[in-house]
Amino acid sequence: MSEITVELTVNRRARTATVPARTTLADLLRDSFGLTGTHLGCEQGVCGACTVLLDELPVRACLTLAASCQGSEVVTIEGLDGPDAERIRAAFSREGALQCGFCTPGMVLSCYELARRRQVLTRDEACMAMSGNICRCTGYNGIIRAVRSAIAEGIESES
Amino acid sequence: MKPAEFAYHRPDSVEEALGLLGELEEAKVLGGGQSLLPILNMRLAAPAHLIDITGIRALRRFEEDDSGVRYGAVTTHMMIEDGLVPDPARGLLPHAAAGIGYRAVRNRGTIAGSLAHSDSSAEWPTVLSALDAAVHVRSNRGDRRIPVRELLLGFFTTALAEDELITAVEVPRLREGTRWGMVKMARKPGEFAESLAITLVRPGETEIWLGAARDVPVRLAETETVLAGSIGPIALEQLAEAIGADTGSSGYERQRHAVAVRRALETARGETVRGAEVHV
Ligand SMILES: Cc1cc2nc3c(=O)[nH]c(=O)nc-3n(C[C@H](O)[C@H](O)[C@H](O)COP(=O)(O)OP(=O)(O)OC[C@H]3O[C@@H](n4cnc5c(N)ncnc54)[C@H](O)[C@@H]3O)c2cc1C
Ligand code: FES
Ligand code: FES
Repeated sequence: MSEITVELTVNRRARTATVPARTTLADLLRDSFGLTGTHLGCEQGVCGACTVLLDELPVRACLTLAASCQGSEVVTIEGLDGPDAERIRAAFSREGALQCGFCTPGMVLSCYELARRRQVLTRDEACMAMSGNICRCTGYNGIIRAVRSAIAEGIESES
Repeated sequence: MKPAEFAYHRPDSVEEALGLLGELEEAKVLGGGQSLLPILNMRLAAPAHLIDITGIRALRRFEEDDSGVRYGAVTTHMMIEDGLVPDPARGLLPHAAAGIGYRAVRNRGTIAGSLAHSDSSAEWPTVLSALDAAVHVRSNRGDRRIPVRELLLGFFTTALAEDELITAVEVPRLREGTRWGMVKMARKPGEFAESLAITLVRPGETEIWLGAARDVPVRLAETETVLAGSIGPIALEQLAEAIGADTGSSGYERQRHAVAVRRALETARGETVRGAEVHV
């Protein structure tokens, strides 16, 4: 019983893996599927580098067991596409929202959920909403500019 | 930073979960995992079995009636924050939920998991003590209802037996005419509170609860008495002294609690923005 078989969809592809029960979603993605864009910083929920979308909601992949994802749909940074994702990537690049890039996959996935809400955020609200993602090199001004700009462009695209 | 080995179980029904809890040695319930996974990753605990209850549909339901709302155990903080379930406390529950950790944590963390974890600097223990909520608990031996105020016995210590499962959390409706104030002080957004003050103000009565001061949330009885006996606003030093008597805290800590309580009183009375969150 200490091995489990989990069937899930990752980046729209059906996947099955048999792994030790103690495997986290982050390790399943990285070690079993080679999706190393999901980064591991703290493994205690604090840094946000491991953020992925689980059934469309951002979660900590380091605090989610692979076994709990049976039947779920996971989207990682590698599979994040569409107009919102493109706008976010362009905004991060334009606004200087990254340096080493370690935090960036988590930042982009957290930003994606915000952008999808089509809701204007003040600077303070954007800071609060992104406070679960830590960046150790860029400073947050560029990141917050990029987040707000991607949100605004998303809203504009529909008006 | 990886969990030690364990066997994983994913029951479909409460009965199956209770069966596993009754029969397996060294088993732990897994809710959202947002407190348990950090503990497992750091190997502060190494249970032999995890019983994941998030696949049990019956635990996701809610029921509402005139007396209040009963939430299934695996109701997430996000569901309360976003109003996907009713709020019997006129905005207090969504406000409290929105202040818990980060969105990604709130998407998985559950109301029952937070109570079973029993950290007095977390939101639900103090908020649900103040509201006099209760948990419904089941085991193979029978069912019982435990008021949250009696469930929480200390840091990470509750009245739950090893084979017991919280199946629902029942929150009574906030009485008509009661206004609430809530102030959480934390070093940064999303951190656990360094002070967590809840005030319930109704004509002729003010009730004050404080989290992050002791190992369990405390009702500030002495402070309430001092407030009731004073005409007009009282000085912060006097408030701090009363809170010291209620909690045993002193110095900067006591001052922090006094400021949190004063701001929560002001918000309940409508003197400042409702439930302002403060970061120190
Ligand atoms: C980075 C970070 C920041 C956080 N910040 C905050 C914060 O600011 N405020 C706050 O309140 N919380 C915070 N949390 C904790 C979070 O709210 C957790 O969701 C919550 O404490 C536990 O709920 P869970 O469902 O994740 O429980 P789990 O982690 O699954 O379980 C916790 C404990 O409860 C037991 N348990 C779970 N469900 C049941 C049940 N139904 N019956 C019996 N026992 C059960 C488990 O066996 C375990 O002992 C934070 C967490 C992280 C990772
Ligand atoms: S690695 Fe998951 S939050 Fe830091
Ligand atoms: S760009 Fe280096 S940690 Fe954020």
